[in-house]
Amino acid sequence: MKQISIIIVALISLVGISYAQEQNTTLKGKIKVQVDGLSCPFCAYGLEKKLKTMEGVAEIKIDVENAFALLTIEEGKTVTEAAIRENVKKAGFTSREITEVTDDE
Amino acid sequence: MKIKHLCWLIVGIVALLFTNQGFAQGPPIFTDTPIMLGLEGRGIRTFGRYISRENVKVYVQPIAIPYNINAKWQIGAILPYRRLNPESDGASTNSGFGDLNVFTKYQLFQKDRKGKTFRGLIKLSETFPTGNDSETPAVGSGVNTTGIGFVTGYVTIKYGFYGEIGYNIVSDGSPNILAYNFAFSYPLLPQKYPPFQLNLSVDLNGNATPEVDQNILFFSPGLQLITGKRFLLETGVQLPLTQSGYGSNKFNYTYTLGTRILIF
Repeated sequence: MKQISIIIVALISLVGISYAQEQNTTLKGKIKVQVDGLSCPFCAYGLEKKLKTMEGVAEIKIDVENAFALLTIEEGKTVTEAAIRENVKKAGFTSREITEVTDDE
Repeated sequence: MKIKHLCWLIVGIVALLFTNQGFAQGPPIFTDTPIMLGLEGRGIRTFGRYISRENVKVYVQPIAIPYNINAKWQIGAILPYRRLNPESDGASTNSGFGDLNVFTKYQLFQKDRKGKTFRGLIKLSETFPTGNDSETPAVGSGVNTTGIGFVTGYVTIKYGFYGEIGYNIVSDGSPNILAYNFAFSYPLLPQKYPPFQLNLSVDLNGNATPEVDQNILFFSPGLQLITGKRFLLETGVQLPLTQSGYGSNKFNYTYTLGTRILIF
């Protein structure tokens, strides 16, 4: 029984560490942030303003129809996935997939 | 514009609904929205409303300033300027600032999906008798009114449905008022960001005072022009579909022309 408890605690810890690492992932270049709840251009301005407050963000483009924000990060700088998610939440929306993209995408 | 022409305009616009897919729309004109973002969150809103009744013509110019504490909690205040012009012989025109209304809204739920959101909030308000009620016609009510309401909306990039119900308790024992509003909004131009939008808003706005068998339901079509991230123009009329209990002071129509400007 004691061994099972130790295994469960270890598994939970691994999941927690994995989640924390994902949240602290640093991103650079161009970042595509899928945003749920983005249903009107007039309310997208708050999202743009909030993401612009992040240090290192040079440019933001918002595509309401395809529900994403495209962040361009300043050369030599990075942002964390956790910071992006926090700012999307503060703007009143829900973040989904966050990925680095190339100019071709 | 004659009613017949207006009806044809509405029919034409509604016909576009089924050919113009994939665009987003703006907030409704006569109904509250549960989306406390953008122009509905950190803006200043004012409009001129001309109210034509059988024995009085009223011009109201409220200024509303909402402020978001955070994305889920908003506070604000509304102060109306009112000008009343009685139709009866010998009665004088009166004008001035009316009663101050302060309100708070708190978002109860938010379900987001790609290109759509379903939200609901609770709204509490208090109207203070700051307007002068010692002259006739009075610009102030002379009583406190406490309001509680629920606002909900399902908004997608193609259309928006909104609903609002509120109960207003009047302090001096006067009859309480039940307000009920529904709205449908739809974009008439392709969407882009920064926005340039022309939106159709069709509302049904009702007020009922069951204690005195008074009830009115307006059909309220309107148009909205959004010319950028920070500026919106809107106009609309309210035509009574049914009204009872208003005696010889029935509503003819109301006309609204207004703007919302994002300041924060």
